[in-house]
Amino acid sequence: MLLEGETTFDSAPFDGISFDLCSRRKDVVMVSADLSKYTQIIRVKDELPDQHLDVGMAEQNLISVAAGVAKAGFVPVATTFAVYATRRAYDQMMICMGTGPHTSIVVGFTPGIANPARIHHQAAEDLGMLRSIPNATVIDPMDVTDFKQALDVAVDLPGLVYMRGHRGDTPRLLDPQKFKFELGRTYRLRSGSGIGIIATGHATQWALEASEILEDRGIDHSLLHVPTIKPVDEAGLADFCFAHDRIVTIENHQIVTGLGSVVAEVVSNVGGGPRITRLGVPGSWAPGGTLPYIREQLGLDAVGLADRIREAGQ
Amino acid sequence: MSASSNSRVLNLEILAAKIRRNTLDICMQRGGYAGQGVALADIAACLYFDELRPDGRGWFHDRFVLSNGHDAIMTYAALAEHGSYTLEELRTYNADGTKIDQSPIEGQLGFEITAGSLGQGPSQAAGIAWAERQRGTDKRIYCLFSDGELQEGNVWEAAMFAAHQKLSNLVYIIDNNDLQASGATTNVMSVEPVPEKFEAFGFFARRVNGNSVTEVLEAFEEAKGVTGKPYVMVCDTRIFAGIDCLQKALPMAHYVAQKTADWEAGLAEIDAKIAALGGEA
Repeated sequence: MLLEGETTFDSAPFDGISFDLCSRRKDVVMVSADLSKYTQIIRVKDELPDQHLDVGMAEQNLISVAAGVAKAGFVPVATTFAVYATRRAYDQMMICMGTGPHTSIVVGFTPGIANPARIHHQAAEDLGMLRSIPNATVIDPMDVTDFKQALDVAVDLPGLVYMRGHRGDTPRLLDPQKFKFELGRTYRLRSGSGIGIIATGHATQWALEASEILEDRGIDHSLLHVPTIKPVDEAGLADFCFAHDRIVTIENHQIVTGLGSVVAEVVSNVGGGPRITRLGVPGSWAPGGTLPYIREQLGLDAVGLADRIREAGQ
Repeated sequence: MSASSNSRVLNLEILAAKIRRNTLDICMQRGGYAGQGVALADIAACLYFDELRPDGRGWFHDRFVLSNGHDAIMTYAALAEHGSYTLEELRTYNADGTKIDQSPIEGQLGFEITAGSLGQGPSQAAGIAWAERQRGTDKRIYCLFSDGELQEGNVWEAAMFAAHQKLSNLVYIIDNNDLQASGATTNVMSVEPVPEKFEAFGFFARRVNGNSVTEVLEAFEEAKGVTGKPYVMVCDTRIFAGIDCLQKALPMAHYVAQKTADWEAGLAEIDAKIAALGGEA
């Protein structure tokens, strides 16, 4: 289901995704807290102003106003940086959006280390926070195609849906003709044996880079993409884990409470199973800087990952 | 005022007295927020039995958002008079396993939002008002919250939004009872002058005696004539207003435990009042 050949990039994926969605679904409203430009919903703002609402720089208001919009028959897509949605308005997400049946979507941009600023802009704990909310749906898409298709599914889901967003140069890795996002489903991107790599979101991009190096080095491995963090496909995940000798999880997130924890919980529910190595932000404040620099510092660059995956397999 | 003829006011005063009685009946079982329910009875009578337009199917065309969840007792006591709840089921308020939560979850009859986390109602009501206007409906949105709740920043974010969006279909009703969990609001963290603050944010603001049916009706009437801005009625109330013996005994009761109040004395007083007004006790 991966595209062949040279990778192409979309410089403003959500601009197209949000405009396309709002053009098709007149009940969808893009809600912003003064970040329309930075979450890339300018086209909706300019061309479909009735489906754009700015609440000002006030994230608690963003989430609670959006929740009200949902209770009056619209599907709000509240957009801001993941740090603000989760840290400033967690209570509003849980109480205003999470306790009722109305579809309420929050897209958190620049998640994890995908922001050059430091901890105040880097939400490396959002997945764990959101998956603690009963009935919430949590999605971490890997590329433009995954992002677009996941949002198309999200607008018809009940209750709170939290999705990590991509902005700026975002690769097209999945073939839209062959990939179909289904809630909870996992996707095997590389098939092998020995080491089983499980990744989500940006980290699936990184895992694909590491996979090429592992392949060159002749290290047998599989790669599973898990875009839905909640509800997770427990059976599929367990089958994958128990078919491999070693499991390595990679996520653009702290190594606690996110994907690695999901996998560890699933394996421990069955009992026994492979050793699990969790890679991500290792319980520290990530540095600032360019994404390649931050990845290198945290051992999440392609070579660093390949080395650590090989070590985990030994 | 022509809109509030004597019989209309008298009818609402009888309903308010019955709402007070229902509040005591419910809270005397296991305790509850009786002081607030009693104090809000006049507003509740005007709201549910005069202001919210019926939808012809036993419910309301307009929408009421309760922000301070503990004032749910007001809604329960009023909806018992409306016939949407029975007193028998409401008497399970505060019991283990009850469906009558002290602070209900969204979806419970009469409750548009989950309202226990204070400060979140005004912005949800504003979101509803914005969306209803977008849809082109004539629904009016009413949101009740408290003076203590004004200390939550989310309320002022909502006020800024509602005024900026010129939500003239939105009415905020503030229960200004000068009481919050730790004591008098004026002592804990003063919020006055409340009307002036909302005016500065772009609202049409009016301070009224929240225990006067006539003043509450007048404010609701005035709100419907305001264009281009939301309306806030700052309702001065006092805990247990309308039942003198309990007001005297428990003037600062944020929560009343089952054995704390002389419920029988309160019931006797309100029954006498209902009879004096010409209602059936």
